[in-house]
Amino acid sequence: MVRMLWWLLAVAGVSILGILLSQQRALDPVQNLTLLAASPLEAGLFDLGEPVADFFGGIVNRGELVRENRQLREEVERLQAELAQQEDAALRIQELEGLLEVKKGRPQQTLLVAEVIAQDPGGVKEAIAIDRGAQDGLEEGMVVLSEGASLVGTVTRVLDDFSWVTLVTDPDSAVNAQVLLADSLARGVASGDLRNSLLLDMVPSEADLEEGALVTTSGLGGNYPRALLIGSVVAVDERPQALFQKATLEPAADLSRLETVLVLTSFIPARLQGP
Amino acid sequence: MKYVIALAAIFFLTAFSSSALSYGRLWGVRPDLLLVFVACWAALRGQGEAMVVAPLAGFLRDLMTSDPVGTSALALAPIVLLAAYREFNPTDLQFLPALALVAVGTLAYGIISMTVLTAVGYNVPWYDALLRHLVPAVLLNVLVTPAIYLPLRWFTAATVPVSPTRIGPTVRL
Repeated sequence: MVRMLWWLLAVAGVSILGILLSQQRALDPVQNLTLLAASPLEAGLFDLGEPVADFFGGIVNRGELVRENRQLREEVERLQAELAQQEDAALRIQELEGLLEVKKGRPQQTLLVAEVIAQDPGGVKEAIAIDRGAQDGLEEGMVVLSEGASLVGTVTRVLDDFSWVTLVTDPDSAVNAQVLLADSLARGVASGDLRNSLLLDMVPSEADLEEGALVTTSGLGGNYPRALLIGSVVAVDERPQALFQKATLEPAADLSRLETVLVLTSFIPARLQGP
Repeated sequence: MKYVIALAAIFFLTAFSSSALSYGRLWGVRPDLLLVFVACWAALRGQGEAMVVAPLAGFLRDLMTSDPVGTSALALAPIVLLAAYREFNPTDLQFLPALALVAVGTLAYGIISMTVLTAVGYNVPWYDALLRHLVPAVLLNVLVTPAIYLPLRWFTAATVPVSPTRIGPTVRL
């Protein structure tokens, strides 16, 4: 009994010390080293897991269909992203023409390709580890896109050779968003949700939300560039008396099967810019 | 030697959970093979060995995931405490206690890790996390327990010498 008590005190003490040191980033080199050792095994297991998942995901020989479906999804996602950018650009031109302001071009985007090496196994957090880190010029707050150029998440922890990316479906993630409606925009906040994966909230009640409407980043707050595709509306939570509407979104990127992502290194989020 | 094997198993299970297993969700959750491994180890091999294996598993897992280092070691500690039942258990039947240990351990693990995450400033939606993550996770972990328990029982039978204090296969003096 006494031995147990001492053990418990020791584990609690070391754990709390570890948590405090982690918060101070003092253990980052050790984490980087561990990921360095584990990444070859994880990469191999990732490759192994995909066909197994394909097999169990369908009936015999359905893996090919799943892969084809994924390719088509990526194509649709890419086209949706293009469409969203075009629609946004058209609306933006209208806005700017209306205000007689000079068009301000977006600087050319620079993207860094990164491989996904791990997915956080914890159930509450939605995060992935990528094989790019501080040595590649990554900084916390940088925006991460899928191969189809839709929003995946934000870099939240940078080690020397690896980084952790918090996905848009993480409960701790919130992105200023806009819904592209027939002739207008409606702004809201897209946040991760354990129940619905991705939830769009704070949309004014007068906005005419409909299923299938595309949702992109609004650029408000300066943490994300404008017009990055987030997803599309799959269900609208209609509450007549409420000031704001809610909608469930389907992320444009298949976040459960990410293999390669793109880090937007040319965009410096507001949180990284000095005063 | 047994701890080296345990460490290798922990390393493999953590890597497996964060890679290949990311494809395998059921009821919106993935099985926590490492927790099941620690619980089965505690049930089959006793509290003494679990006192070494649980912190090892916890710290190694946190080094390979995005949680603050120490969260999992703290969250796995209740499994070691609960393994004390084994000292008072008069039979060698460990499977049902192992299932109970997995179920209670999953609940304790979830609550402690979410408490730590909340304490470090992470926004944990407690209601949804308890209802939509923790409850399915308990069921799923219990379901996958045989996949870990059976190989571990074989390993235990092959490595643990028969105790001279036992008479027959089921009664302990």
